Parts: sequence; C-alpha cells; structure tokens
Amino acid sequence: MEFLEKNAIYIVMIIVLIVWAGIFFYLLNLDKRIKNVEKEIGDKK
Amino acid sequence: MIWKIFLFLLLGFVSVAGIAFPIVENPQAWYEFPFIKGLEENAKIIFFHVPTAWITVIAFLMTAIYSIQYLRKKNLDDDAKAYAAAQLGIIFCILATVTGAVWARFAWGAFWSWDPRQTSIFALLLIYGAWFALRSSIESEEKRATLSSVYAIIAFVTVPFFIFIMPRIMTGLHPGSADDTNAGPVIDFKMNENMQLIFFLSLIGFTILYFWMWKLGYKSIIYRDKLNKQLIIRG
Repeated sequence: MEFLEKNAIYIVMIIVLIVWAGIFFYLLNLDKRIKNVEKEIGDKK
Repeated sequence: MIWKIFLFLLLGFVSVAGIAFPIVENPQAWYEFPFIKGLEENAKIIFFHVPTAWITVIAFLMTAIYSIQYLRKKNLDDDAKAYAAAQLGIIFCILATVTGAVWARFAWGAFWSWDPRQTSIFALLLIYGAWFALRSSIESEEKRATLSSVYAIIAFVTVPFFIFIMPRIMTGLHPGSADDTNAGPVIDFKMNENMQLIFFLSLIGFTILYFWMWKLGYKSIIYRDKLNKQLIIRG
C-alpha cells in the first residue's frame, strides 16, 4: 500500500486495466448477442 | 475465440507497459524508455494517441473501399460496411483530436493552437461530418448509398494529404513537423527499440480491436435491415 501511495502512476495503470476489462467484456457480450440474432434470422429463412 | 484472448492480453500489456514502464536517462533494461528532451513523461502519449489516428486512417480507407465495392456491385451490405467503418473512423478521429488537445495543454501550453496537425484534423472532421449530414438527408436507401459512396471516395483522397503530408511539410509544434530536428516518420523520432516494440504492439492491438468493433457494427446494421424487410414482406 505504501508503495502505491508513493508511485501513483501504478494506480492509474490499475484503473486503465479495469476500464479495458469492462470494455472488453461488454464487446464479448455484444458479440454473443449478435451471433444469437444471426442464428434466429437464419432459422426463419 | 483465441484472437479475442490475444487481443485482451495484448492491449492489457500495452496499457501496463505504456503507463508504468519508467523513462530514464540511459535505458539499459528491456522495460526502460529513453528520455526525450522537450517531451519527457509526456512522450508516453504515443502508445495511445497515435493508434487512434491510425485507426482513423484505416477506417476511412475501408469506407472508401466498400464504397467502391458498393458502386460496382450495388449490394446494400457493402454500404452498411462502409457506414460502420466511417462511424468508427469519426469516433477515433474525435478521440485523436481530444487526446491530442489534452496533451498539448501540458506539452505546448494550450489546448488548441491551430498547429498544422490540429488544423488538418479539424478539416478532416468537417469533411467526414458533412458525409454523415449528407447520409441523413436522403430518404431512399439506394440513392443514399450511391451518393454517399461517391462522396466517401472523393473524401478519402484528402486523408493522406491531411494526415501524412501537410503536417510534415509545414513547420509546427507537433512531433514530426518540418522544423522538428527529429523530423521524418514518427517511427524514428528518438524512440529506442523498447519503445518501438510497445508502439507497434499497440498499433496491432488497436487494429484488431477496430476490426472487431467494425464487424459488430456492420452486422447489426445488416440484420436490422433484413428484419425490417421481413416485416414489410409479411405486413
């Protein structure tokens, strides 16, 4: 903890990593949802 | 699926390296970046700002390619692909402008100073902003696709000039300007191998991310149009 307080840049790094993980899993989810829609449209043909 | 895990780890690593790797006077270890006079810690922006500009170029290039494709084959799916690419292009263009302005506040002293680089990206935003205005003003799908394809092809002719040529032949504040002593392609602008490696990894990561977002974008447009047509046929 003391290390992080002295080197604040690592806190920024952790925050950016969390934001990236959030964006990434959102995209992953969106990808799955679009694939499901693709299947449904394919079935109706 | 493997490339998605690869992308996650790649951009994760670039974030760690780009933010936390130290800048030192005499880089020895593989994780140390060189001290660049006049840029200092600000130099780290290159790992995140330059890729956004790079994505802008790829996206607008793909808009032009799929516009040509549309004019040849008259397939509305190509128009959807061009549209999704242009959307991402303008988003990343705005990101490049904003991140550049924030950086400029601390590197040059002001958010905006009409540097050749800033002027040219502003012109680019206007040109592609007009493209979206053009699209939204036409009702008929085919007519909209044809007209915006022609515009997108002509608009792309200006992109290499605004992004690669004009800011390099004019004097300015942006690294790589004509009066910059390290002038030339951004790649050899006093980066050492470690910095170049992280820089290229970042470019690769952002490019993969762009293609993923683009695929999701055009697929959702194509399926929406398909469903709309099914509804019309049934109704």
